[in-house]
Amino acid sequence: MRALVVDDEPLARREMRRLLDAFPWVEVVGEAGNIDEARARIEELTPDVVFLDIQMPGGTGFDLLTQLDRVPRIVFTTAYDQFAVKAFDVNALDYLLKPIEPERLATTLRKIQATPLATTNHTPLEQLFIRDGPRCWFVPLREVSVFTAEGNYVRLLWGKERPLLGRSLTALEEKLDPRSFFRANRSQIVNLDFIQQVEAGTGGRLHVQMRDGPEIEVSRRQARLFRARTTVG
Amino acid sequence: MALLVRIVVTTLLVSLTSYLIAVALSEVVYGTAAAPITQALYQRLPPDGQLRNQFIYLLITHALWVTAYLAFAMQRHRYRAELRQAQLGEALQAAELRLLKAQLNPHFLFNALNGLRSLIADEPARARDAVTHLARSLRYSFAASDEDLVSLERELEMVDDYLALESLRLGDRLRVELDIDPAARTARIPAMLLQTLVENAIKHGIAALKEGGTLRITARIPEKELILQIVNPRPADSAVATGEGVGLRNSSERLRLLFGTRARLELDLSHAGLATAEVRLPA
Repeated sequence: MRALVVDDEPLARREMRRLLDAFPWVEVVGEAGNIDEARARIEELTPDVVFLDIQMPGGTGFDLLTQLDRVPRIVFTTAYDQFAVKAFDVNALDYLLKPIEPERLATTLRKIQATPLATTNHTPLEQLFIRDGPRCWFVPLREVSVFTAEGNYVRLLWGKERPLLGRSLTALEEKLDPRSFFRANRSQIVNLDFIQQVEAGTGGRLHVQMRDGPEIEVSRRQARLFRARTTVG
Repeated sequence: MALLVRIVVTTLLVSLTSYLIAVALSEVVYGTAAAPITQALYQRLPPDGQLRNQFIYLLITHALWVTAYLAFAMQRHRYRAELRQAQLGEALQAAELRLLKAQLNPHFLFNALNGLRSLIADEPARARDAVTHLARSLRYSFAASDEDLVSLERELEMVDDYLALESLRLGDRLRVELDIDPAARTARIPAMLLQTLVENAIKHGIAALKEGGTLRITARIPEKELILQIVNPRPADSAVATGEGVGLRNSSERLRLLFGTRARLELDLSHAGLATAEVRLPA
């Protein structure tokens, strides 16, 4: 397992390295002292896991995550910001309190090992980090049924939540797995797994009924593609 | 339950008194003593005796209701006052606890312990020094109370301990310049005042900058007045954080209580990228 240590305090980075020394199967591939460095290291080294401090000069650990295309496994390390980390109550997240207890670290590492995450640049996106107002989420994309453009942003339909992603629909589409996601019209992408029923509409359009509620119209141009795909697949 | 018993007993006592008064008064009002009031006797009474008994019954019933109401109202009033007192006490305790927590600065404390853990193996001598600084720093914060005045000299010793620990954390990102007029060293200032301002300067200024910066503390007494200045760089786009506002408000309030209008504390953020806190105290 390849790890990156991100903390603005040199002593804290040294302590993290020393703690990780006890786990020979974990290799620390790099360090970063602020979020700009961290972003560069993550893109260059594609670590499996990032130990990430929250309070850093020039931006917080959360700021870093919103800037990343592909978010590796994150373990927050914090002295007293566990309240900030608890903003993640929607989906469980790993965090360690400094000074870090070796036993807690061992538990966390075992947990990560048991649930690996694909992190190479060639595989399609699996999850997104989204911060909407005071709330933060790691959103597994297979659980999102519809992406709808709102200006330059994208609104996700994810269970009961409607988080807003700070990117354009077109930029997002390039990163999505084309086997699971389909551009239905100019402003919407649908998750094929969530389609319940398809009906023919007027002028070659299609009406798609999604499992969790909304009905999406597939434009004439995209409807041809859709038919081709679904009959073949 | 005790409340109910008290109301019933009070009501009965007042009713009994009312009854006795009514019996006594009936002699004056009607010219004859009150007759017994049992039903059987009542039937056999002459009309004027019945009238008199009716008067007595009415009086007793009236007294009963009034007393019950009074007892209830009094109890309710007392209960509400107690509740208010309890709420007030709770709010006060919560405020004190918040203040105490802020004084202990948990974020700083746990980070210092984390740095210390790292030093123990590599640089035991530095680790021992750090423990001494931490112990002195904590002892001082515990001992300081709101009314205490200390010499600037003493407060500076404490700030030294604190800055030594912050240097451990921030490394060469933190640089410190002191310019203290010898005459100012004996001036009396509220304990923890300079400490609070220095903490703010680091937390919201220097620690928030990638390249860090220089913290400058100056003290002088131009004319019967101590002027303390803490100058630090800060992120150009930072607004005053809420925590910072609270710390400053508390310090201002303490100065006002201790010195009235003769002291003041100002935070100047008019220059982008720079913060200047200035305290003026009668010397």
